[in-house]
Amino acid sequence: MHRRKGRGRLLLLVFIALSILIITVDFRGTSGPLESVKDFSQAVISPVQRGLSTVTRPIGNFFSSIGELADLRNENDELSAEVESLRAEVDQARDLTAENVELREHLELDEPWFAQDRVAAQVIADAPGNFRWAVIIDKGKADGIRTDMAVVNPDGLVGKIVHVDSHQATVLLLIDPKGGAAAAVGDGEVTGLVSGNGGGEDLSLEFVAKEEELEEGDRVVTSSFNQGIYPPGIPIGLISSIGGDVRAAELEVGVNPFVDFGDLNIMSVLLETGASAVRLGEAE
Amino acid sequence: MSVSAGRARAGAVLSEIGFARPFALGVIMVVALALQSTILTRATILGVTPQLLFVAVVCLAFLEGDTVGVVVGFSGGLLQDFLLPESIVGLTALLYTFIGYSVGTIRYYTSTEAVWTPVLTVALASAIAEGGYALLSILMGENWVSLADTAKIGGLVVLYNTLLTPFVFPLIRGIADRVRPERVIKL
Repeated sequence: MHRRKGRGRLLLLVFIALSILIITVDFRGTSGPLESVKDFSQAVISPVQRGLSTVTRPIGNFFSSIGELADLRNENDELSAEVESLRAEVDQARDLTAENVELREHLELDEPWFAQDRVAAQVIADAPGNFRWAVIIDKGKADGIRTDMAVVNPDGLVGKIVHVDSHQATVLLLIDPKGGAAAAVGDGEVTGLVSGNGGGEDLSLEFVAKEEELEEGDRVVTSSFNQGIYPPGIPIGLISSIGGDVRAAELEVGVNPFVDFGDLNIMSVLLETGASAVRLGEAE
Repeated sequence: MSVSAGRARAGAVLSEIGFARPFALGVIMVVALALQSTILTRATILGVTPQLLFVAVVCLAFLEGDTVGVVVGFSGGLLQDFLLPESIVGLTALLYTFIGYSVGTIRYYTSTEAVWTPVLTVALASAIAEGGYALLSILMGENWVSLADTAKIGGLVVLYNTLLTPFVFPLIRGIADRVRPERVIKL
């Protein structure tokens, strides 16, 4: 009994020392050897994650569909009508987009974000902790994805790529406290930095001077201001609250995001964004 | 009688191979973490996912003692660290190592037979792990959510982990019993 306890205590000391060593290596950013172990452990777990999400996705959909059956017929009628009216708008929008791209080329402006090359991806897993808001998607290096690329869905900005393996990538969501985006309000006269406050909370728009005139319901989009990594104009959300201490120089602005971060499934990675795109732009 | 004898024989055969136990422990942790990041993210309580890997670590430490507690705590924690983007690698490993050891030690002073003991152990250990992780992250200068949100999320994790224990503990005990080396006398 005593011998066994002694062995446990020795192991405790060894592993605590090892943990502290790993923390130090990670903290100093010299994580070369750590990266390969990290890639290996992700390679071990991702087949299991893929299997589990492929098997359970139809079950989840089935259960949620049962509850919605009654509403489905009404919704179908409404949607059919909407499709008719949208079809006309789509044709118009397509012409306008083509014209916009052409005019931008003439003016030597960057390509707008919605006309950029993109790759669609599906969520296969969430980050395992409750204090980190990130998802793992089923596309990676092999599909042209690199770190810092912008990720969007039809509602707006989702986040950015923070880690890439050959066939999967990790997206840090905009609502994560470490997520953030340079942002502009309305016509772009007011700029600031949007940062996350975790799941279920509004985003904060920071560095907005008190003199600026904002209103609740104003639209917030990404901005390329101050070397932001996102292309300008991607929808982020609507201003939901404006406040702040009377003595403070800056406003406290809350932004309600367009994207439903609690229910993410399909998203697109914009392949012409990110650090490499910025470097290419500088080289030209 | 015949069933338990069969199990004992199967366990003896597996323990002779020598790899069965580490392999089984590894599989438990990989599967727990995969479940935690896929299916359980769709079965949340107010948006909070249970830390199934942590529950498994505490159950294993409780059943197998401090040595196994330290090893599964460190390796399970490190595995979770590797899958958490933009976080301090090694922090979860440090906390889980400490908790694996503590749980493995206190089990000498408790009765494994009482149903509520592992449940209470998981509750207490979860509170220490969640609080410790938040505190260390903030001290190390990480961008963090508000204190109110930290308390809310941490509290829900403790609750959810505790609720899962009555289902997870018997399952892990079943697996651990089969791969435990014969020479260890079950206390």
